[in-house]
Amino acid sequence: MIHWSIRSIGSEGAVLLASCTGVAFAFLLVMFFEAVFNGESERITAYPTQVNADVWVMQKGVANMHMAVSQLWDWKEDRIRSIEGVADTESILYMNAVIDAGDREWFAYIVGLDERADFSAPWAMHSGKRLPERGEMVIPETLARLTGLQTGDNIAIVDRRFTIIGLSEGTFSMANSIVFVSKVDLADIMSATGSVSYVMVRAASGVSPIELAQRILNQVDKVNALPQKKFINNDHHLARQMGVEIIAMMSIIGSLLAIVIVAFTVHMFILRRKRELAIVKALGYRNRHVYMSVLLQALLLTLGGLALSFAFALVLFPMISLLVPAVSLKWTLASLLKTTVAAFLVAALAALWPARQVVRVDPLAVFHG
Amino acid sequence: MILQLVIKKARAEPAQFIFVIIAIASVIALVLVLEGFRQGIYQQIRQIIMSRGADVIVAQAGVSNMVASRSILPQLSRQAVERIDGVVEAHPMTSLPAIYDKDGRQTPVFVLVYDTLGGPAELEAGRQLAQNREIVIDRSLAVIYELLPGDDFVLNDFSFTVVGISKDTAAFFTPFAFTNYDDLIDLYFESDIVGDLSTLPLLSFLLVEIEAGRDASRIAAEIDKRVPEVDAYLPDAIAANDVAMSCSMLGQVFQLMIVIAYLIGVLVIGLIMFSSVQKRKYELAVFKAIGFSFSRLAQSVIAESLLLTLLALPLAAVFAYVLSLLIQEAAPVYLILTTEDGPMIRTLIASLVFSILGSLMSFRMIARLEPVLALRR
Repeated sequence: MIHWSIRSIGSEGAVLLASCTGVAFAFLLVMFFEAVFNGESERITAYPTQVNADVWVMQKGVANMHMAVSQLWDWKEDRIRSIEGVADTESILYMNAVIDAGDREWFAYIVGLDERADFSAPWAMHSGKRLPERGEMVIPETLARLTGLQTGDNIAIVDRRFTIIGLSEGTFSMANSIVFVSKVDLADIMSATGSVSYVMVRAASGVSPIELAQRILNQVDKVNALPQKKFINNDHHLARQMGVEIIAMMSIIGSLLAIVIVAFTVHMFILRRKRELAIVKALGYRNRHVYMSVLLQALLLTLGGLALSFAFALVLFPMISLLVPAVSLKWTLASLLKTTVAAFLVAALAALWPARQVVRVDPLAVFHG
Repeated sequence: MILQLVIKKARAEPAQFIFVIIAIASVIALVLVLEGFRQGIYQQIRQIIMSRGADVIVAQAGVSNMVASRSILPQLSRQAVERIDGVVEAHPMTSLPAIYDKDGRQTPVFVLVYDTLGGPAELEAGRQLAQNREIVIDRSLAVIYELLPGDDFVLNDFSFTVVGISKDTAAFFTPFAFTNYDDLIDLYFESDIVGDLSTLPLLSFLLVEIEAGRDASRIAAEIDKRVPEVDAYLPDAIAANDVAMSCSMLGQVFQLMIVIAYLIGVLVIGLIMFSSVQKRKYELAVFKAIGFSFSRLAQSVIAESLLLTLLALPLAAVFAYVLSLLIQEAAPVYLILTTEDGPMIRTLIASLVFSILGSLMSFRMIARLEPVLALRR
């Protein structure tokens, strides 16, 4: 029976290929959706990850950076610097804004840097200056490529025009690219003189970030202090949570579609092989043998589709990232496992309807011509 | 002839016919859901701006967006705007992004602080703000966190009481909440953000109410001219800017997903027509034997696939609508508009195109059919 199942499904190459490709695209759609969310979640945490501070200090009640607003007195940075175990601090001003670039509007994180910023400044440069002075800005190289802007061109943030003096790498995101300006300029735009948004703290050797965060919480009034890992996790978690339900729903829709495609293909196989099945039944094979063969066919189709979808993803995702740099895709092992589990469910459910057809096959049909 | 053939097939094998229609409808429904998702995002953005009730919206000079955009207006700009002929009142509104954190789950929230205009247009439960420390939250927040009027709502360590649940007040994957100015100032003080309140965003936008019968665009132009520190927009214009921004952020992703969905559609139709042709190969061979040309048979296959697609469309619309309801139930922050005219017509045309493309897959088989096959049965 197993041999028959494999041979019969393999005998119609075009149908098999079309069906597997249909299933593959259904899975690909789900993987693509999830990869976009994963990719964006990763890009959202690019800044805190690359800054590599040990502890982040922010306004009380704030625990992350993405879509958050934080303001602290700037003297609190001096207070933090004097705490035992603090090796160094840097602070930034930060706001979300829409910038006009290349006839389009882009949502961006604007980071205001001190003139002597070191670890809070762009971590990798494509070209140009790394630290903006008054009236200057550093934009992501990808944004420059997408908009045709170059060093020396101007971009407006709110009502001020800035000259691009550098192009940074790893700072572009579809949802929030990172643009660097001087802290003085950003303070003017935000009317936030005398305050900072985040203080990034590096711990002295041998001092743990958790311990240092607690020390800051104990000694500085009304701030929140989090170790870098926790701070990044909060942002990552938040971004993932924003998409978790919709990813789940898209997975269900994609899987339902795959079920329909697989069930339809197996159903058509069975219809075309009614006489063969009648012979099988006439030879004394029990229904459960025939069920198994239907399930096997559904499984083969689904696994074929799954393998194809992985192959497509391997080829297409890097291509999409190259051709459409605005879209960041990240494929994780968890996504692979989830899709594989979904595939087995798809196969089992898709076999139900064709199995019903099989039960109805009359062994006498072999004599019907 | 094709209609008769399809009816004959439907009568002869109703289960299979239903299966075929379901398969095609499922693919079209997927496209409709994706289109509806995109439309829903744009609609939510438009709605959140249009339902603020302003005739003209005033933002900081250089700021041309409202949702997710930071705007800080000088306090005196309100008086300057109100001095302009035709302006009845400039109602203040402040937008404050925050993260709501409860039971280990975090959700970004846009808090709209308003005074006399700009509050939630429609409530699903509870009432509008009446006292301090009250908040009206979007339905999605209420569903996600199982909040009801009377429950506590802690934001930035500041405790509010939920008094109302608003409808259609989410945009950009983010729910909105509404509170008043006294609470905003209390929140700033309790958070000890900074000592000088003048540096804080107390006024983001002005919702301008104009005299009846006056031309809003003229008044907006007058505000632009006479108050240099602000930019004035008609609500339509600022909504269009926000929609354009979301297009630049999400447009390509949706486009890619819709393309994938269409490819699935081509393959499913191809599969169906291939199976149909294979099943009817003896009939088609007979037609060839009596002189029907390849193009005539190919046309019949295309017509059949078009007819099947047309028959599947109403079911697809129902599937998409049911799916959209299920998604909105599970993820209430999203709005999925599957019944909008534009996407419907676009999907209808695209579905007919992919059904033609799908039917091409069976052409090779038709071309290779030997008329002599008719005698072999």
